[in-house]
Amino acid sequence: MIRIEKLEKIYKTEEIETTALNDINLHVKEGEFVSIMGPSGCGKSTLLNVMGLLDKPEKGSYHFMDTELLGLNDRERANFRKRNMGFVFQNFNLIDELTVFENIELPLIYNKIATSERKRLVNEIIERMNIVNRSGHFPQQLSGGQQQRVAVARALVTKPKLVLADEPTGNLDSSHGNEVMELLCELNEAGTTIVMVTHSSHDASFSNRIINLKDGHVISEKMNKGRNEELI
Amino acid sequence: MFRLNLKIALRNLWKNKAYTLINMGGLAIGLASCMVLLMYVAYEWSFDKQFKNNHKTYVVYNLANASGRIFSWAWTPGDMAPDVEQSIPGVAYASHSSYPEDRLISYGQRNFKKSGVFADPSFLKILDYKFVKGNPDKVLKGVNTIILTETMARNLFGDEDPINKTVKLDNAEVLKVEAIIEDIPKNNSIRFDYLMPWALNVKVNPWMKTNGYEGNFCLTLIQLQDNNYFERANAQIKGIYKQHKKDSNSEAIMHPLSKWHLYSNFENGKSVGGRIDQIKIFFILAFCILLIACVNFMNLSTARSEKRGKEVGVRKTIGSSRKSLIGQFLLESLLLALMGMLVAFVLLEISLPYFDELLDVNLSINYSDWRFWSALTGLTLITGFIAGSYPAFYLSSFEPVKVLKGATIVGNSSLSVRRVLVVFQFVFATCLIICTTVIYQQLSYIKNKPIGYQRAGLIEMPIQGNFKAPEKLNTLKDLLIKSGAVSSVTSFSRGLNEDGNNTFSVEWPGKNLKDETLFNFRFAGLDFVKTIGTDMISGREFLSSSDSSNAIINESAAKIMGLKNPVGTMINSQGTPLNIIGVMRDFVIESPYYRARPMIVYHHMREVNVIIARLNPAMNVSNAIGKIDEIIKTLNPEYPVGRKFVNDGFEQKFQNEKLLRTLSNWFGGFAVFISCLGLLGLALFMAEQRKKEISIRKVLGASTTNILTLLNRDFIRLVVIANLIAFPLAYIIVNKWLSAYEYRINISILPFVIAAVLSLLIAILTVSVQSVKVAKSNPIDALKYE
Ligand SMILES: Nc1ncnc2c1ncn2[C@@H]1O[C@H](COP(=O)(O)OP(=O)(O)OP(=O)(O)O)[C@@H](O)[C@H]1O
Ligand SMILES: [Mg+2]
Repeated sequence: MIRIEKLEKIYKTEEIETTALNDINLHVKEGEFVSIMGPSGCGKSTLLNVMGLLDKPEKGSYHFMDTELLGLNDRERANFRKRNMGFVFQNFNLIDELTVFENIELPLIYNKIATSERKRLVNEIIERMNIVNRSGHFPQQLSGGQQQRVAVARALVTKPKLVLADEPTGNLDSSHGNEVMELLCELNEAGTTIVMVTHSSHDASFSNRIINLKDGHVISEKMNKGRNEELI
Repeated sequence: MFRLNLKIALRNLWKNKAYTLINMGGLAIGLASCMVLLMYVAYEWSFDKQFKNNHKTYVVYNLANASGRIFSWAWTPGDMAPDVEQSIPGVAYASHSSYPEDRLISYGQRNFKKSGVFADPSFLKILDYKFVKGNPDKVLKGVNTIILTETMARNLFGDEDPINKTVKLDNAEVLKVEAIIEDIPKNNSIRFDYLMPWALNVKVNPWMKTNGYEGNFCLTLIQLQDNNYFERANAQIKGIYKQHKKDSNSEAIMHPLSKWHLYSNFENGKSVGGRIDQIKIFFILAFCILLIACVNFMNLSTARSEKRGKEVGVRKTIGSSRKSLIGQFLLESLLLALMGMLVAFVLLEISLPYFDELLDVNLSINYSDWRFWSALTGLTLITGFIAGSYPAFYLSSFEPVKVLKGATIVGNSSLSVRRVLVVFQFVFATCLIICTTVIYQQLSYIKNKPIGYQRAGLIEMPIQGNFKAPEKLNTLKDLLIKSGAVSSVTSFSRGLNEDGNNTFSVEWPGKNLKDETLFNFRFAGLDFVKTIGTDMISGREFLSSSDSSNAIINESAAKIMGLKNPVGTMINSQGTPLNIIGVMRDFVIESPYYRARPMIVYHHMREVNVIIARLNPAMNVSNAIGKIDEIIKTLNPEYPVGRKFVNDGFEQKFQNEKLLRTLSNWFGGFAVFISCLGLLGLALFMAEQRKKEISIRKVLGASTTNILTLLNRDFIRLVVIANLIAFPLAYIIVNKWLSAYEYRINISILPFVIAAVLSLLIAILTVSVQSVKVAKSNPIDALKYE
């Protein structure tokens, strides 16, 4: 589904140039669950942002289901993003002024889904996420784990083909972290492609494949064959 | 502690340059506007107050009762002043003088038509003009003498010493210069270029000596020994007319000199304000603008409180009291007010000459005046305190635990206070826009309203010198027409824009004995109706000198007299029987805002004072003017030409309204601008504060338009609310203003629409300047580093 070739991303500031990504080649198949790992500052978030069309690389190509995405302008990128991708962040990034329900509903509004349909979709996902009795609450009134579940729900409500998660468990304790990981696995089993950045090999063990980055290069790729058995 | 606070305050202002600039700019414009307006108010207030004894000096008003209505004016009989001085206890001095009038003064080859006043020696006791040369106690006693102002003396004599030299008045009287006084300041009700003895006036006009209480041709001033005598003196002077003339319908009252300028309107014998009403408006406007600037400050400071919250928390945990925090924040706002004041100063010095010209006043900063400095200090302190009060109390009330834990501290209360403040600003701005529009509409309505004659292309000039002889006047007429510069010429007893000359003593068949209508009377030459471009409703105009016992009346007069067939009717005006030969269309002489007064026009070439001519449309104006001036100069070489356009004189009638329009335009504009600055600051802050939210929304697929709507919606709602509040308010204000005019526009929906559209547009544009930037920014920058 995703085919990235010879990708290069350079950050220029006044003092220095940082090559955050250097000659990255990466393929992700439909339905795959890929983890990206590596030391801090090696370019993991950058890669994820590029894949999520939130950042523009200098060079290379990025095919998503046989469409080249790098030539698109801002509006086309935004449109493509809202139809095909969902995001989960380490710091949840929920809107403080909106309730749980409204937070989840937001991407549907931007996708111009009718009100009744929106309501149905949101309620469905809220139920699935087990946060029904929280739907009227504001983010500040939830625990970190609950917030992240809302964030995941928001990422999923549009039924995206690809979910991009940047250290989704980074701010959570291990039990809450596991809840989120299980959620992602369920999702993956239902057919959604997931790319996740993580520092935890425990979390990475949930995925099909682990990609190691260092200084902007892919240094190794490892299939995680035991995953399915482990889960069972 | 203070030094530390000061340092923190300065650093804070420096760190947030954008806010500091917006705040300071707003305050500076607010302060400068406030100061210009206050200086203007002070200027108007200062009229006639430079005389040492102004507080016990009074102007005598004549209240004439006519058919139940009382007309009031400060014209009094010549005998009144001596009578008052003799018979009323407590009067220190009473003087009579003429009103300033332009006359020709010449010295050698130098001729000037400048305004002069005839006055008693006691005039100078009452009004202590500053003498540069000569002795105030010895002047105005001889008959053929004169006192010059400094400028007049310099114009006439250059560097020579004028004392004891002689000048000529109207090419007739030779006058010896007795003294030089300083120029009369602009803020003086009685302004003149030279002063002459009353005795000279009597010499030139001998009838004045024996006129008694018949005519009112003087200004009478009274100075009391002290104000304890006022009640008694005022009661005594009331009956002075009847005492000397049994059938008089007049009473006299004493009106304080210090109130003469601002309270000049009388209604039924009672002082009912005047210019003071406008001054009050400007006074209120001054403080409203300042308040708007303060509101900006409050708004931005509370909006910024989230950033300052942490500082407050830390300070509180390490032991700072609430009081010292309040001190800190107030210090900051005082500092800003001070900086604003400095900038305001610069703005003021730059703009004052411009306003002087615009308003025809003489405003200047008097740096040695303690009142100026105390007003300035007071204004700065008040501004600093008002602006800083709310933020100081609000910010210092934060609870440290909550703040430091990072809870959202911008609670709903501060948000709604901010909203109320923005609404307040926009209510004011919208009101001003509406009022300004209505003033414009009213002015253009009155200006475009037909005034009964064609004032464009009409010129007038005084009949003086040689032209006083009828043959010369005829020669002038012939030459003017032959030159092709003018198409017709006539003459009139007063300028077309001048009032005065009216009488109650008009008799007509069937007149109700109790009727006392005030009629204007005028004298006109031949071709009058044709020249000024009006028309006859019936009958004809004057055709030859044989018409001297005939009269033309205007429509209003015909209506008042209730005559079926006015033409041919005999009437009697001031003892002269007259045969009406025509009825002329009403035309505006006095105020264009009121119905024309009834008028009787006689034909007497001895009584005309002004030549009126219509420019020939076939010749271009500057050519025609050149020719006219040349002809007049050759026929009457000793006098300045004195040619004026009637239209210019007409424009003068709108001075008050124009002033109001100019000021409300400028200061309304400033108010709107300051409000926009506030809005900009708020938008700047909101955008920054909501950066994260906006980024998330963008990641989730919001388009730029989505974001813009989101950011603008709040502000638009506030402006709409402000409009809804402003509409009825403005309606009440303009309705009250308009009700003072007999001819006025109906208040239409247009000003309201303009105000609504304008305020919304301004708000959206202001907010969008900021929000477009945010809406277009890359979302990931805001989300990456939390
Ligand atoms: N906006 C930016 N300007 C300049 N340099 C940047 C910018 N964003 C990232 N970088 C640099 O690019 C490199 C990769 O950053 P990135 O955020 O992708 O790292 P990361 O692998 O996600 O690290 P971590 O595990 O700490 O999140 C780093 O060296 C970082 O300093
Ligand atoms: Mg990262």
